[in-house]
This record gives sequence, structure tokens and C-alpha cells, in this order.
Amino acid sequence: MNNNKQHYINPYLGGVLLGILVLLTVYITGRGLGASGAVKSAVVTTADVISPAHAEENAYYSKFISDDHSPMYTWLVFESLGIFFGGLLSGIIFGRVKKLRVERSPKITKKTRLIAALIGGILFGIGSQFGRGCSSGAALSGSATFALGGVIVMLLLFGTGYAIAWFFKKLWI
Amino acid sequence: MGPLIPNGIIGGGWDFVIALLLGIAFGFILEASGFSSSRNIAGVFYGYNFVVLRVFFTAVIVAMTGLLFFGYFGWIDLNKIFILPTYLAPMIFGSVVMGFGFLLGGFCPGTSYTAIAIGKLDALVFTVGLFLGIFIFGEAFPLFKDFYYSGYLGNVTLTDVTGIPPGWFAFAFTIIALASFWVTMLIEKKVRKNIKEYKF
Amino acid sequence: MNRNYIFLTILMLLLAAGTLFLNKEPEYNQIKPEKLLWEIIQPTRYVTTDQVAKIIIDKDPTLELVDVRDAESFNKFSLTNAVNIPLDSLLAPSSQDYFGLPGVKVVFYANDDIKADQAWVLTRRMGYSDTYVLKGGLNHWIETIIQPKEPSADASEDEWALFEFRKGAQIYFTGAKAEQGSTKKAKVTVKRKKKTAVAAGGC
Repeated sequence: MNNNKQHYINPYLGGVLLGILVLLTVYITGRGLGASGAVKSAVVTTADVISPAHAEENAYYSKFISDDHSPMYTWLVFESLGIFFGGLLSGIIFGRVKKLRVERSPKITKKTRLIAALIGGILFGIGSQFGRGCSSGAALSGSATFALGGVIVMLLLFGTGYAIAWFFKKLWI
Repeated sequence: MGPLIPNGIIGGGWDFVIALLLGIAFGFILEASGFSSSRNIAGVFYGYNFVVLRVFFTAVIVAMTGLLFFGYFGWIDLNKIFILPTYLAPMIFGSVVMGFGFLLGGFCPGTSYTAIAIGKLDALVFTVGLFLGIFIFGEAFPLFKDFYYSGYLGNVTLTDVTGIPPGWFAFAFTIIALASFWVTMLIEKKVRKNIKEYKF
Repeated sequence: MNRNYIFLTILMLLLAAGTLFLNKEPEYNQIKPEKLLWEIIQPTRYVTTDQVAKIIIDKDPTLELVDVRDAESFNKFSLTNAVNIPLDSLLAPSSQDYFGLPGVKVVFYANDDIKADQAWVLTRRMGYSDTYVLKGGLNHWIETIIQPKEPSADASEDEWALFEFRKGAQIYFTGAKAEQGSTKKAKVTVKRKKKTAVAAGGC
């Protein structure tokens, strides 16, 4: 598993492209990019399918349920689908699409990594709702548009990461 | 004059096609930069891989500067763009929780989608976690509804709150970002032997 | 490679520094005087008191009523959910937030037409469209909606139908008169109310 030297594009180039993309997105749509909203739509849709009555009563889900279309029929869901395909395209071009694998530090087991990923996802999911966005929507796009909330999320999200990094060192190096 | 869709220059029907295209570009850039690897992402916290810092900061300063120039040339009406609303306490709380999630999971939603695309199981599990997390949030919502809506300051920008024109923020941010790029480059040079080891 | 980076760093610094000097006052999308004159001559900007009454009763959210009289008159009596922007503060930056909202119809009114017309011309010149003037102003409003006059016995059916409508409107508005004191909740149309087909709620 140690053959390949991965080929990534220059990060600054990536940053410039991403910045231009955010700019373009705001120029076209008046909003920035985002990602967590698609999962939220999925949750709302699932709740609505399993128990429409419950979904209607729930003060959070009901906001995103509309009579004429599925909650999945939103901007962010399509954008997220795009993210998947864009990642796939890049993965194919750079030869990174391979069989299902778990990426982890050699110091932990696959199981540990997956459990950490699950817990991480759960926490991130919860946090993203309170934070009105994730690193793409709130931190990146929010900061780019000078939103106070965006900057707060960016600083605290990464700040917290740094603050607790040492305790979870084993997960990564 | 932008923003094009809110100004009716592009019809609403194109919305989702555009979303898809922008998303594809987003996903491509993320994956091509190395964000489809959780170890690459986590690297910024341990100093062995600064890709997150470089891509993220560069993107923010390019977008900020670009936005201001666009506004100046009259290409976009800055009053019409969506500004993320600020809910002080819940956002602070949410950001801290996300910080834990980010460090434990090594992904954020957008990057996890690209990682799933190239076959990373841990990304898939992370996304399942996202789903569960949001579900838990939704079910437990009545418990903290008031907290969720507290601290509302409106859709405020940094300029709204401080009175300082946005150019200053863009400039300050740029200086900080550029400084951090040079500093981390020096750090990397000093620990040169580690660089090859940590390209995933 | 380092030289490229140095160049890029300097370039970025210069661009960002450039943003420090971009503090222009936003240019209005001014319309040509000929166009403005043409529009002034047209009576299309006028809306009748009946039309406005109907829109209010229908609870149409796209209506924004702007009272251009001074604050004292506004507080004594005004229309439901109206915003008060006295004519002399029409050009203030804070007032601009109420104009140019997509899909929103702005109706200016005062005691009669004059001030409202002036507000209309000014905002039209600044490039805001979808603006209207209440014909006859509040005076006419009182004559037609608050105290509609019964038509004579041999009046046409249309006139009677109109009277019926006005009677209904009278009850609607004067019945609600008790709550008139709380016009402070006039901030119905809020600035930056962008609702495209995007999922609201961030990210």
C-alpha cells in the first residue's frame, strides 16, 4: 500500500480555484456553497416518508416540508450530488478510485477508525444544525461574504480542532 | 448585474442544473487538492499536512477580494447576497461540537462526499454519522428549541457590527493568510523528511 | 518555485490592499430623464384605494405600504403594517433597505397625492421599479373605505357592487382599528429577504 505518490494539485491553485468558484456561485445565485444541508434534506425526507404526521408536528422538520415538492428537491441536494460526481471525476483522472478501503493511522485498528468516523459524523451533524452550516457553507462561504456568523464558525471550528488535537493524536499519526 | 438568479437574469428553472454544475466543480477541486483523504485533512492540526490551511485561506481571501471588486465594478449588487444569520450562542456551541466532529471524523460533509466517490469507507461511515446526528438533533429539537433561536443578531456582516469597511477585513485576512503560508512553508522545510511520509 | 510564490504573494497583497480603496457610494441605476418624464405623464403608477384595500384584505405579502408623512402624523393614524419613511429621509441609507426588494410592490401615500408623487419620482429616478402611488392618499382612503358613501338609488350595478365591497372593507379596517396603536410592528418587509429556491437554514 505504499507504492503511489499521490498526485494532488498545488494547494494554492486549488484555493484560488475554490475562491473563484465561491465568487462565481455568489455571482450567479446570491448564495455561497454548502454541503450539510443535503443530509438535512435527506433526514427530513426520511422522517416524512416514515411518518408524515410526526414530521409535520416536529418543529424542525416541518420547516422544510412543502406540499408541492419533496424536501429533496432543493439546491443543496443537487449541489451535493455534483460534489460527489466532481470528486469521482477527479478521482478517476488522478487514479484514486479504488476498492472500498478504510483510511487510518497505522496505530489504530480499522474498527477504531470507523467508530471514530461514526461518532465524528454524529457530532458534526448535530453541530452543523446549531451552527447553521458546516465548514463549506458557514465557515467558507460565510466568511467570504463577510458574515459575522461565518467568521465565528470558522474560528471556533478550527480552533476547537487545534485545542483537542493532542488528545486524539493516535487517530492520525 | 449579479446576483443573476435573484435578479431574474437567469430563470429559476436553471437553478438545479447550475447547482449540479457548481457542485461538480466544487467536488473536483476538493478531491484534486487532496481533501478526499481524512489523514490529509487532519494533518493541519498536527502540522504534517497543511493543505486545509492553504486551500481554505486562499479561497477565502480570493473570494473576499473578488467580491469587493465585483461590487465596485457594479457587477454584483452586494445588498442582494445572502448573509449567513448570526445566532450567537448556538453557533458558538455548534462550532465547538463540529470541531470535535471534524477532528474525530477527519471529514466535513463536502469532503466526505468526494471521499465516498473514491471508495473511502470511513467517509461513508462519517456521512451515515451525519445523517444520524441530524436525525438526533431533529428528534430532540423541542428540548433546546429556545436555545437554538437565541442570540439572534440578524444577517449581520463584520462591517455591520464594527463599522469597519469590508476592505479592511479583506486586507487583514489576506495578510494573516499569506503570513501563515510562508510560516508553514518554513516549518515544512525544517521537517522536510516528514513531507513525503504524509502524502496520502 | 519560490520566486513564483513571492510574485503571487505580492500580487495578492496588492489586490487586497486595493479593496481598501473601494469605498464608493453605491451608484444608483439612474434612468434617463426622457424615460422618467414619459413615466410621469402616464397614470399607470396610480393605484386606487379600492385596489389597496383588496390587497390588504387578501393578506398579499408582496405589498409594502410606505407612509411619507412625518412621524407624528404616522403615529396618529396610518394604514395597517405600513412603514414610515418621511419624505425628507427618503434618501437615507437605512431607508434604501425598503426598496428594490424582488417581487415587492411599494405603494407610497400621504394625506393626498403630492408628497407620495414626489417620493415616487425620486425613487424612480434612483432606479427602483415596481413603485406606485395611492391616488388621493389617505384623504381619499377615508372617503372611500372608512366612510364610503351610499350610491344613489338609480346608480348602476357596478356602483352598488363597489359600495358593497367598500362597506366590507370599512368593517375590516375599522373593526381592526383597536389594534391600530401597535404600528410599531411595521417591520414586515425586512431588508435582505432573499428567498430563492434554496434550502433556507444555512449550509
